[in-house]
Amino acid sequence: MLSRVADNLFWMGRYIERSEHMARYLNVNYFSSLDAPNQISQSRQFVLKSIMFMAGEPESDAEQKLKEEEVLFRIGFDTKYPSSILNNVKNARENANSARDLISTELYEAINKFYHFVSSYSAEAFVKNGLHDFTTHVTEMTAILRGKIRGTLLHNEVYAIIMLGVNIERATQIIRIINAKYHDALKAQGSYGDKFSNSYEWSTLLKCAESYDMMRRFYKKTPTSISTLEFLILNPNCPRSVMNCLNQVYNNIKVLDPDYRYNRTSTAFLVGRVRAEFQYKYIEEIENDIQAFISDILDNLGEISKKMQREFFNY
Amino acid sequence: MPNIESQIFSSYQRNPLLHDEIFDQEGQVKAIYQKLFNLYGEHSIEDYIQLNNKAKSSFFNQGITFQVYGKKETQEKIFPFDLFPRIIDSQEWETIESGVIQRSRALNLFLSDLYHEKKIIKQGVVPLELISSSANYLHQMLGIDPPGGIYNHISGTDIIKHNDGNWYVLEDNIRCPSGVSYVICNRTALKRALFGVFNHYQTHTVTDYAENLLDLLETVKPHGVDQPNCIVITPGMYNSAFYEHSYLAKTMGVELVEGRDLFVENDFVYMKTIKGPQRVDIIYRRIDDLFLDPLEFREDSTLGVPGLFAAYKKGNVTLANAPGTGVADDKAVYTYMPEIIKYYLGEDPILSNVYTYHCSRPQELKYVLENVDKLVIKPVDEAGGYGISIGNKLTKKEINERKKQVKEDPRKYVAQPIMSLSVHPTYIDENHSFEQRHVDLRTFTILGKDKEFVLKGGLTRVALQKGNLIVNSSQGGGSKDTWVLKNQ
Repeated sequence: MLSRVADNLFWMGRYIERSEHMARYLNVNYFSSLDAPNQISQSRQFVLKSIMFMAGEPESDAEQKLKEEEVLFRIGFDTKYPSSILNNVKNARENANSARDLISTELYEAINKFYHFVSSYSAEAFVKNGLHDFTTHVTEMTAILRGKIRGTLLHNEVYAIIMLGVNIERATQIIRIINAKYHDALKAQGSYGDKFSNSYEWSTLLKCAESYDMMRRFYKKTPTSISTLEFLILNPNCPRSVMNCLNQVYNNIKVLDPDYRYNRTSTAFLVGRVRAEFQYKYIEEIENDIQAFISDILDNLGEISKKMQREFFNY
Repeated sequence: MPNIESQIFSSYQRNPLLHDEIFDQEGQVKAIYQKLFNLYGEHSIEDYIQLNNKAKSSFFNQGITFQVYGKKETQEKIFPFDLFPRIIDSQEWETIESGVIQRSRALNLFLSDLYHEKKIIKQGVVPLELISSSANYLHQMLGIDPPGGIYNHISGTDIIKHNDGNWYVLEDNIRCPSGVSYVICNRTALKRALFGVFNHYQTHTVTDYAENLLDLLETVKPHGVDQPNCIVITPGMYNSAFYEHSYLAKTMGVELVEGRDLFVENDFVYMKTIKGPQRVDIIYRRIDDLFLDPLEFREDSTLGVPGLFAAYKKGNVTLANAPGTGVADDKAVYTYMPEIIKYYLGEDPILSNVYTYHCSRPQELKYVLENVDKLVIKPVDEAGGYGISIGNKLTKKEINERKKQVKEDPRKYVAQPIMSLSVHPTYIDENHSFEQRHVDLRTFTILGKDKEFVLKGGLTRVALQKGNLIVNSSQGGGSKDTWVLKNQ
């Protein structure tokens, strides 16, 4: 496979995954705040700031008032904003275009439909009353794409590259979501009857990762800070957990360089190292200093991505 | 038998001066179309509206689109597709097929001669100006022997049916002719929409193009290569024919590369893969000559590969088509085709040429200037239907402007009598009815070493505007599925 095309497929995977998490974060936070049990969590400003925080723009001024339509437009349809959902989907399709000869017609057609859906959606309708409709469609269409990726491609290098993109991005987004909701849980502490460790925000966090129901099944208890973080970071069977993503990254990188994983300069070696560290962590030590953990794992994921660039995508 | 009364043709207006491919002079359906006509007659116009919309959205969702470069923004458009197919019977096809092979072979010998001894010029069959004044003659190709002796591996010959019922060649395209992917898409779309009609005709397949292309390209592999590695090179995804490039790479099962994916080392060409460099032996290139290699042609080209031409010169890589073929498909050479065929093959042309006046000849220039209103005037070196004027569509002012242009640079223009392209019933979306529209046919011929292939079918292009004779897709043309029938 051509290096340039591999690079594009990797980013196709990342952009598909990114658009999904953005859309779901919008949806879940907006709608769960409507009937949140305490006043802070219910306030519009709280939700809008949480959305901007997740998008990588933490508030600089606590007094600043955000306008709902502006925030929604920016995250959904602003072409000048690089991480808007529209731009993510556009980029995913552009990357698919350049690898059109390698992927299946079914997958291409699904991405193309996805793009036409998003690009022809009225931004005005979205900010006024289309939030639920639009974000639900986006998350459903990304699920279709994942199905087409798994169900119609040869499980060879092409598939491995796409899955590397998907899983590295998923781990990154899950961590960003954890970071944002952790921040929200701290902020929401002030209200009556809501302690940090059993904040309403943990349930929202799980829903943002589509993991609420399975978490309840697994622990059979109301989510707390520790159980939520454990589930989303360390549980290898939770498909959205960081651990699970790292396992997938490890399996897929092996497809790309099977003989090279013991060479300490290879990407596979680095992935193995990061993963091994996680296998023997426990949640209390992570929770002790969550900020350090977050910046540490984001650095590692960035390093893996950079190494892949050098090893495979050099053209 | 009632025919023209059938509902979907109830408003069909037949101009008796034009050659209609399905109705004869008396308005009777021709035998070959009778079954199809009856089958279509079972549908109502509402069915067509629905089928047509379905076909359109199918093309759009599959991303079978091309870019139109406008003043402000680039638009993504589908290539309009018509649900009523065109039928060519096996006898008629035999003539077409042998005719286009004959032309392609003659052109190949002509190119080889032009880049070697130039016998045809020395013997006075064609004038020296033909190449000395042509922008597409590449002196770099002098003395080079392309692998397998083939220059124009892929030829797209455009032919029309005149109102005398005969086929004429309109032009030869032997640089990077495009359109073949639409032939296959049209067939797929028609099969999806109206699969029932296929049961009643024995039609040749068109989906075997890619495998034949790969087979024939492999016959012209560089010397000493056992298992050649073939690739397709594209200018990139913003090129208007990118869909076709990706389609061909996908169906041949080979890599689709851009110039930046390749490099040349010690006169061998390599592509950069995730597992390191991999040798490339055959390049089906869809970028123009001048962009192939910045070291040899245009320095500012970022589409090509530095050193590619040197590798080609050494015989280490095959380029299809060979650089420099453009000298033989311009409209000035076209007029000498009967002589060229006779000279190299000792045969009379199977397909006729449209008579052409050279504005470079004083006698003919005089005739052209006096008869601008009766002639089609074309620049010799423009592709895509640009710069063409059709005499009877010009105003007085335009005629004078045209005269001025031709006088300023006579070598740049040729003129032909206005040919009456045949017409075919075509579904017109705006009017929800079938109407007569002019059509031509682009055929696709592949030459390999001692082997050739003609796609049994082709791209029937339709001029969608009423009365328009220019059928190029960049000028709003549509297309039809084209059936070549098996011998019955």
